[in-house]
Amino acid sequence: MKSEGNSKIKSLFQNKVFTLLCLWLVMVIVFSIWAAAKNTSFLQISVFKNILNSLVVPGFLTIGAGCLLIAGHLDLSQAAIGAFGSMVLATAIKAWGLPWYVAILLCLLLCCVFGLINGLLVVKLNFPSFIGTLAMASMVKGLMYLFSAMGNNGIAANISFLNSATAFIGSGTVAGIPFCIFLVVIAFIIFGLLMSKTAFGMKVTFLGGNPVAATLAGINASGIIILLFVLSALTGGIGGVIFSSRLSQGSLMALTTSQFTGLTAAILGGISFGGGVGNMGGAFIGLLILNTFQIGMGIVGVNPFWVNVFSGVLLLVALSLDFFAMLRQQKVLVH
Amino acid sequence: MAKTLEFRGIGKSYPGVRALDNVNFKAEGGKVLALMGENGAGKSTLLKILNGDQPATEGEILVDGQVTAFHSPHDAQVAGISVIYQERQLMPSMSVMENLFADSLHTNKFGLVDRNLLYKDALEIINEFGLNIDPAAIVGHLSIANQQMVEVMKAYRRNSDIIAYDEPTAPLSEKEIDLLFKVIEKQKAAGKAIIYVSHRMSEIFEISDEIVVLKDGKHVGTLTTAATNSAELIKMMVGRDIGDTYSSLRRNTPQEEVVLEVKNLSSPKVHNVSFKIHKGEILGLSGLVGAGRTEVARAIFGVDPVTGGEIYLNGKKVEFRHPREAIDAGIALCPEDRKEEGLIMYRSIADNITMPVVSSLRKRSKFIDRGKAAEVAEKAVKTFDIKTPSIFKMVAELSGGNQQKVILGRWTNEMMQTRLLILDEPTKGIDVGTKAEIYQKICDLASEGLAVLFISSELTEVINLSDRIVVMRGGSVSGELPRSEATEENVLTLAMAEEKHAASSGKEAEE
Repeated sequence: MKSEGNSKIKSLFQNKVFTLLCLWLVMVIVFSIWAAAKNTSFLQISVFKNILNSLVVPGFLTIGAGCLLIAGHLDLSQAAIGAFGSMVLATAIKAWGLPWYVAILLCLLLCCVFGLINGLLVVKLNFPSFIGTLAMASMVKGLMYLFSAMGNNGIAANISFLNSATAFIGSGTVAGIPFCIFLVVIAFIIFGLLMSKTAFGMKVTFLGGNPVAATLAGINASGIIILLFVLSALTGGIGGVIFSSRLSQGSLMALTTSQFTGLTAAILGGISFGGGVGNMGGAFIGLLILNTFQIGMGIVGVNPFWVNVFSGVLLLVALSLDFFAMLRQQKVLVH
Repeated sequence: MAKTLEFRGIGKSYPGVRALDNVNFKAEGGKVLALMGENGAGKSTLLKILNGDQPATEGEILVDGQVTAFHSPHDAQVAGISVIYQERQLMPSMSVMENLFADSLHTNKFGLVDRNLLYKDALEIINEFGLNIDPAAIVGHLSIANQQMVEVMKAYRRNSDIIAYDEPTAPLSEKEIDLLFKVIEKQKAAGKAIIYVSHRMSEIFEISDEIVVLKDGKHVGTLTTAATNSAELIKMMVGRDIGDTYSSLRRNTPQEEVVLEVKNLSSPKVHNVSFKIHKGEILGLSGLVGAGRTEVARAIFGVDPVTGGEIYLNGKKVEFRHPREAIDAGIALCPEDRKEEGLIMYRSIADNITMPVVSSLRKRSKFIDRGKAAEVAEKAVKTFDIKTPSIFKMVAELSGGNQQKVILGRWTNEMMQTRLLILDEPTKGIDVGTKAEIYQKICDLASEGLAVLFISSELTEVINLSDRIVVMRGGSVSGELPRSEATEENVLTLAMAEEKHAASSGKEAEE
């Protein structure tokens, strides 16, 4: 009885990630044929390198957004916090002349403070996370302009800076592979194990499933939720640091296109919007699908505006699949 | 103009499940027909079909001899049918009067809602029921019992000819039950056909004229209430004779050692509550709904803040700021609302059982030891005889009784050091057969040395299971009864003690 149930669970888990992987492969094949028909090429190392490279910044956002979503919360301020972080980094290096590591630490620390405030708003003041973080997004965006003005003689503008260490973080390679790809892959592995193999991950999932029941079963909901909001802000900050390191510039437009990428990838990867269901493996492949789709569309020459439209359609399709699966499940349960 | 309702050959199939099979019976105007059966017998399904929420796969419904098809609750209402579900269908953020008249709001000549008229009409109904509720009060702020009464009034207001009640008394205290029964008697006298679903024997015998018994989706018989007794009914429902549930319980006497002592405990809704529970003792906590029983449990368990008094566990003073601290000290709580507060419905039995001990289920690698978790869950499934093919099945797929057993298994497995088990309405909505099993488990746990705080609104079960009963009223203890003096009358007297004086001087009794 035990082994039967065990293998069932395993096959179910494998199924979700497996289906997504299949979807990705189909996408790769379709783009290869489509590209060939258009006399360009999709199946080449540089394209995949490009895809992986494009994965780095949203990858960090996805980790934070995904963990939080599993616990049943969402953070609309994540990208804004990351953008703020990128500007802090530029200002700290350019205007204040701080060493790169101090600048990065300062930047991440400030991001964490915003995450902490988000968490406290939700846990202690009972704000719905949607509202608390929406307000936070607006505040942080404003602070970013103020910081930019601080590093730029009173005028809010992009701040360029020169630093060999941050340049390596952003664009350096190890054995021909961009350094930051290692960073994001390692981060995904660590958080994947954390969420699916440890007591902490189980507790996060329980909280997403039913916060009241989990609390009454002795799970420290407040602490975990605050921690996850800090994690969300921190991963946003890391995304911001890598973003500005790549450009060697604190950009006012940083992460504006990634606003919802983390959330989208997490949902596409099978993390339920209501919380309590999903894992990091799925989120990673969700992100892979999203970025492959966008880059593939670019290669076959689809108008970028249409790419945005189709990205939305892709998400809707993924959500409908989830919805129908849920309906089927509920139908079985009603009796 | 008495109406009749007839079910003719009703059948309902879900994928893999035969919920109803050839059900035939007739409900006549001017009579109360009780619908009984264990959980899963098909009562709720039948009501859903009657209300037009779900179509029947076979058979037809006849209203006054006319075949009538219901495709939505609206169709059912038009045909003069109201179904009052167990789960309240209210808009919690709206006022009582808006809820009562939601589908027919009075408008003035400008087409705007006439709130004065609405207030007046709502008050009329509330007074007719003899309740003390403000028509303008927000429904979500009312006590659960009053919310239930709003639900009943909503159906009453529609003046339907056929009214079905699905366990209406579950959240009600004796006082409100009396009011409800008066209303039902009135409806009966007005020639309406009443269908009444309940698990409570005493109610069935008090209110019904006829009893239809369902078992596994089949109609196994119709009895005349006056000519039957509970033993016969139970035998029909479970298909076997379970004898006198209570007298056959195996139990032993409590020990000397005091496990929990509460001295002058106060919290926002509890004042100066004091009592002791001994090792191996089942202490009943009785009182009307809203008397503060659940709040006492929540204060002890570290959910609600303690504003005064002391709690001693095995003689040691304790203060819990979070359930975790209470659990670590050996206290466990099975909350009143299993689905909302007790379980994660869409997770496995194993996860739900091991939830409080996940942190202790670690291998040396710090990763979760799933083998050990499965072992703990398997044992609990065995101990409590949880009916499931696998510990990996979602708890949402289990019956209410088995869900309750999952929670009991969570708190009493080998990984827990539970000394005090707090049970808040542990048998609510659970069928007779499983109830008996749960009673025996509670006695077994007490025999093993656990102290049990048993909160229940069902008088017979508190009286028969408890070694001692503490009765609460309005947030305070109004008295304590030893087993020898525990009769329904004594408990009720204490539960409503000063209410008669209070009712005339103010509305304190309402709160």
